[in-house]
Amino acid sequence: MKISDLIVPGVITVFSFIVIYLSLQLDLSPPMIVGDSMQPRAFPIFLMIINLILVGLLTYQFYQSPPDSIPLEPFQTWGSIILLVIFYGMTTGVDFFVAIAVVMFLMCILWGEKRILVALSASLVTPILIFVLFDQVLQIRFPRGLLLDWYYG
Amino acid sequence: MLEALQAMGSVVLDPFLLLLIFATTIIGVVIGVLPGIGATTGAALLLPFTLTMSPVHAITVLSTIYVSATFAGSITAILINTPGTSAAAATTFDGYPLAQRGEAGRALGIAVVSSTVGGIFSVIVLCIAAPMLARVAYHFRPPEYFALTLFGLSMLASISSGGAIKNLIGGVFGVWVSTIGAEPTTGIERFMFGNYDLYEGLSFVPVFIGLFAMSELLVQSKIANQLTSTIGMKAVKLPSREDYKRIWKTILRSCGIGTFIGILPAEGATVASMIGYAEARRWSKNKEEFGKGSIEGIAGAEAANNAATGGAMVPTMVLGIPGSGTTAIILVGLMVHGLRPGPYLFTEQVDKVYQIFGAMILANIMFLVMGLYAAKIFARISLVPISLLWPIVFAFAVVGSYSLSSALMDVWIVLIFGVIGFFARRHGFAVAPIAVGFILGEMVETNLQNSLKMFDGQWWMILTQPLAVLFLVLAVLGLCGPMIFDLLIRRQKHNGDSSNS
Repeated sequence: MKISDLIVPGVITVFSFIVIYLSLQLDLSPPMIVGDSMQPRAFPIFLMIINLILVGLLTYQFYQSPPDSIPLEPFQTWGSIILLVIFYGMTTGVDFFVAIAVVMFLMCILWGEKRILVALSASLVTPILIFVLFDQVLQIRFPRGLLLDWYYG
Repeated sequence: MLEALQAMGSVVLDPFLLLLIFATTIIGVVIGVLPGIGATTGAALLLPFTLTMSPVHAITVLSTIYVSATFAGSITAILINTPGTSAAAATTFDGYPLAQRGEAGRALGIAVVSSTVGGIFSVIVLCIAAPMLARVAYHFRPPEYFALTLFGLSMLASISSGGAIKNLIGGVFGVWVSTIGAEPTTGIERFMFGNYDLYEGLSFVPVFIGLFAMSELLVQSKIANQLTSTIGMKAVKLPSREDYKRIWKTILRSCGIGTFIGILPAEGATVASMIGYAEARRWSKNKEEFGKGSIEGIAGAEAANNAATGGAMVPTMVLGIPGSGTTAIILVGLMVHGLRPGPYLFTEQVDKVYQIFGAMILANIMFLVMGLYAAKIFARISLVPISLLWPIVFAFAVVGSYSLSSALMDVWIVLIFGVIGFFARRHGFAVAPIAVGFILGEMVETNLQNSLKMFDGQWWMILTQPLAVLFLVLAVLGLCGPMIFDLLIRRQKHNGDSSNS
């Protein structure tokens, strides 16, 4: 068993202890409301204790038969995760639909689309069609931003 | 009974519903053949579009997507050796070899007929079994519901992908996610970190879109540059008389297996098709043909996976416990549209229930027609480059999740759960247990609290309720079953090795 095999059980263990700690910080409900039932903190703590038992079993399982090593993801995967962060930043800072169009275009290129014009048209036409569908047919109002401020007036 | 038949028949007289089933079947088949987008992701993406529809129309859309996408996975499984959905994985074993021999049309014909028979059989079972089960469930009280949800969670141990322990960890995580927000009885805020957008807890739809669609996007990015080769086909051929003679027993057996597996909480079409295929091989007189293009193999897998769709609707509608990932989304659809899943659904809104059943039968017939006449066209759709397809899915996922409650928080939840789902899958944890745990979480906690109140805080009194004990025993079997099974296989292997040496 390698040290790297302990990363997953380790992360879950740390997570479980954090949840238990946070649960212990929760307010206590007056006994007249809780009655014969349990405090709101009890259930998450109970869950995390089960989780810790399961992690123990998982570690034992890894000890018995070590898991296969996982190859590192290609740059497209890490790039896509970064694009999700960029999407968050652009939505809050610029505009929801501008963010969708930009991220779509960058994702097409990142994933190997060599026809720039095709990628550009897909990333422009799709958000416009989706906007028309949701705005006109489903009557959804989207968050304001650079473009939608201009559209909504 | 007559009223039920009338309600089912009324579906045919609703032209809008017929059009909806037709359009949704096309969408479902497209979703099924597109790489990576299965019935679950498709249903999650389409859920926001159903919000303006009537409850019957909305659930019809979701269940049509379910049955048609489950079938459509076989088209790409046979023609390009890539199952469109995981439920069609067993179809590749014999479908693709048969197609390589120049009999792609025959393979698809057998797949479509078997799927239709399996689908219709399971809906008939659903029509008969659901009201009967509802009558029993009508007497359930909190202790029985608590034990039942525990049984549902224990079944996560036996889901095929991931391991039993990993699935249970996923399920526990899902249950914990359901505790975020204000606690229902006391109003105490849990894990909200001062964010009042989370006061009512996380919404089901963004979590599901994140877990299924967004995590799949990240998984697909790994194969962005992969090329697939296709097999040419002239037309889909209906099975010949000789074919029917060889496969009818297999189809019937798989119908039973698929429906039964589907009824079990948390089990789904993938498990059903694998067992259906294995049983087809076990009972076949031509075992040597399996893996080389056996028509019994295709029929066994396809009849079972579509039979599981109707079966999975039984616990979903009667008990509010999802039978699979897609039915978890249908369950959310039922709740969003004011149809409270559970036994009361069969007393208070029985006409709507039978209309949904009728629509499911129509959907099965509709994909039979489409499978026979348009499979060739649909197969071409699977060649859409994923470098264009998935960015479009991304746009639909974020806008769809926003549209549910016009809250950007839901979009962030999609992104967060997409990344969580991706890393979980990277390390061998399936996302379906997280989704099932998330749905059942509130039921477990609320029913445990109500049981404690019922018995003045004496939890052991739950064990005095016969039905609750039955479900708890089943839960223990559900937990230990896979481990015992695993142990038996290892022992058998060990014995085999020692006798060989």
